[in-house]
Amino acid sequence: MNAAEAIVRCLEEEGITKIFGIPGVAIAPFYEALYHSETIEQVLMRQEQNAGHAASGYARISRRPAVCVTSSGPGATNLITALATAYADSIPIIAITGQVESHLLGRDVFQEADMRGATESFVKYSYLVQNADDIPRIMKEAFYIASTGRKGPVLIDIPADVQRAQLKKPFTYPSEVSIRGYKPNTRGNGQQMAKVVEAINHSKKPLIVAGGGVILGNGEKLVTAFCEKNQIPLVTTMMGVGVAAKSNPLYFGMLGNNGKPYANRAVASSDLLIVVGARIADRAVPRPENLEKSVKVIHIDIDSAEIGKNLGPTLPLVGDVCEIFRELLTADVHIDTTAWLSSLEEMKHSTVDHRKFSELGVNPMLMVKTLTEKMEDDAIYVADVGQNQLWSADNYVMKQGRFLTTGGMGTMGYSIPAALGAKLCRPEAQVVAVCGDGSFQMSMNELATIAVNHVNVKVLVVKNRYLGLVREYQEKHYDSHYSGVRLHDYPKHEKIAEAYDMDYFECSDNESLPGVIDQFLASGRASLLVCNVDSANNTV
Amino acid sequence: MKGIFSVLVENKDGVLSQISGLFARRGFNIDSLAVGETDKHDVSSMTIVSTGDQRTIDQIEKHLNKKLDVIKVRRLDETKSITLEMMLIKVSCNLNNRAQLIELCSCMGAKMMHVSAKNMTIELHAAPDVIEEFIELVRSFGILELQRTGTIAMLKG
Repeated sequence: MNAAEAIVRCLEEEGITKIFGIPGVAIAPFYEALYHSETIEQVLMRQEQNAGHAASGYARISRRPAVCVTSSGPGATNLITALATAYADSIPIIAITGQVESHLLGRDVFQEADMRGATESFVKYSYLVQNADDIPRIMKEAFYIASTGRKGPVLIDIPADVQRAQLKKPFTYPSEVSIRGYKPNTRGNGQQMAKVVEAINHSKKPLIVAGGGVILGNGEKLVTAFCEKNQIPLVTTMMGVGVAAKSNPLYFGMLGNNGKPYANRAVASSDLLIVVGARIADRAVPRPENLEKSVKVIHIDIDSAEIGKNLGPTLPLVGDVCEIFRELLTADVHIDTTAWLSSLEEMKHSTVDHRKFSELGVNPMLMVKTLTEKMEDDAIYVADVGQNQLWSADNYVMKQGRFLTTGGMGTMGYSIPAALGAKLCRPEAQVVAVCGDGSFQMSMNELATIAVNHVNVKVLVVKNRYLGLVREYQEKHYDSHYSGVRLHDYPKHEKIAEAYDMDYFECSDNESLPGVIDQFLASGRASLLVCNVDSANNTV
Repeated sequence: MKGIFSVLVENKDGVLSQISGLFARRGFNIDSLAVGETDKHDVSSMTIVSTGDQRTIDQIEKHLNKKLDVIKVRRLDETKSITLEMMLIKVSCNLNNRAQLIELCSCMGAKMMHVSAKNMTIELHAAPDVIEEFIELVRSFGILELQRTGTIAMLKG
């Protein structure tokens, strides 16, 4: 057995059935081994970055690491943005990259790129494999590292000659991992736990701020159960959208610049914030130092380095969200939040949305609301980046589905490949990618992958002929000097749909919107819906 | 404030770059860094001295702990630790002031490693503040070359 075959065996042992990638000479031995696998199917992507995003979409739905593969040099460097995206959003991905022959390393030969060096700040860990016999251990460690503690991408860079090299020892896949520098702490410290319970019992206006970490830790049910048991209200960050259903009376929306004004007012009037799995980045809380002064904060995170990074001083509790909330559910919490909840309810109903929308074209807020109300209960909604993302996060009607987006890195072009990955993970689920006409063009080449694999993904383009969010920024901060943001009327989307064998729909007014969305969702194959939106519409 | 970190790391390629990269990326200062193998050939010890406010020093410790190739991080209290640094310094001197320099060396426990007609090369191993003092004392002679190893530190007892 050679190392390439050993990698495939390890992937089989891990239960991997799909990998996303593009081959090349430096990864050819691996693709040869893959050719003989009976359980792993390779999905040929059209650009390496999208292979990473597709793996991200797959991993987020399967809640396990997913795999992407590229060749060396430009193939591998193309992947870096996807790794950075996964790192910022803590998505478990295993990236396998081919490398030039070992004896040529460091000589700047054809298609050589130092991937370990180049990705150092964008991966949780990386390996340069030098010995075929290390493969089983490295693969086992990589899956363990990617999927435990704070999740994230792991890179395995492997020279072509090492891929071809025979294992000297018989192949065995290790059952255990031992990394002396890596012992992720999952149980919350007992003393801290007691302090947290005490702080909650002393509060009158507690509020949970749930971030993406709650979803990554599979803690949605436990966190909402805790809220319900103790009648504690909840808001989310953008990455936390989906922790609670919109119909949950304790859910008060997404906070932040682009969130619900009443969610921000809830944060401002609370006397105890329980931040769970959130970074408290600038878009969610622009001035954390003001927050620190006015309110007590409990910060729960699996990553101790998050404690005090953007927000402090706090009452920290480091551990796994499920373990912590399982324990909190049995804790003696006795508070009466009736008055606090009714004041939030009043806040919610008295908040007037002052945003004005153009009479022309489709109202994007209405579009997201109508679409998500009509989508199946457990459907997957993938939002891209730009105005479309903010309208999506703000108006998404959460039922029992999933809302995927990249909140950390904000990488345009994420939605189409991530939706493809999500759909391949759960073929029975309805999957809709929502993007702008800018982000659409950053990954529309993957419509070919969607067509070839007969993946019934729905793609909705919010078309306003601009890089809308930058346009909005220029309008506010640069006297409407629209510099380099106009996309004009290209591409002709109906022709794109035709070129990729997709059903095509278009909508330019609010009246016909529900009917068009019905047809778009009902279509039996991949379909493209363009909603023409007036560029004058802003998110704030 | 000053932070002295005694860090045990995996003795393998790329680890030094990971650690120095971490400091560079997050805007943490490195005042000095000393690295060497321990009694176990697969473990290296690093002593990193940094300055910053309390929050920065706390963050450095957390981020060091987060690195998978870091086995153990200890933050050392300067008053409870032995700190030591080594320096080689070449100082300009001639017949007229050589005696003065020799006297300084013997006062400070420095060793004369080489003497030529125009200069003297001196070795000093001492606590970092003693090294600083010595540099100031010989500055007027004219410092031709100076090399320091960076601080190594160990908790007493």
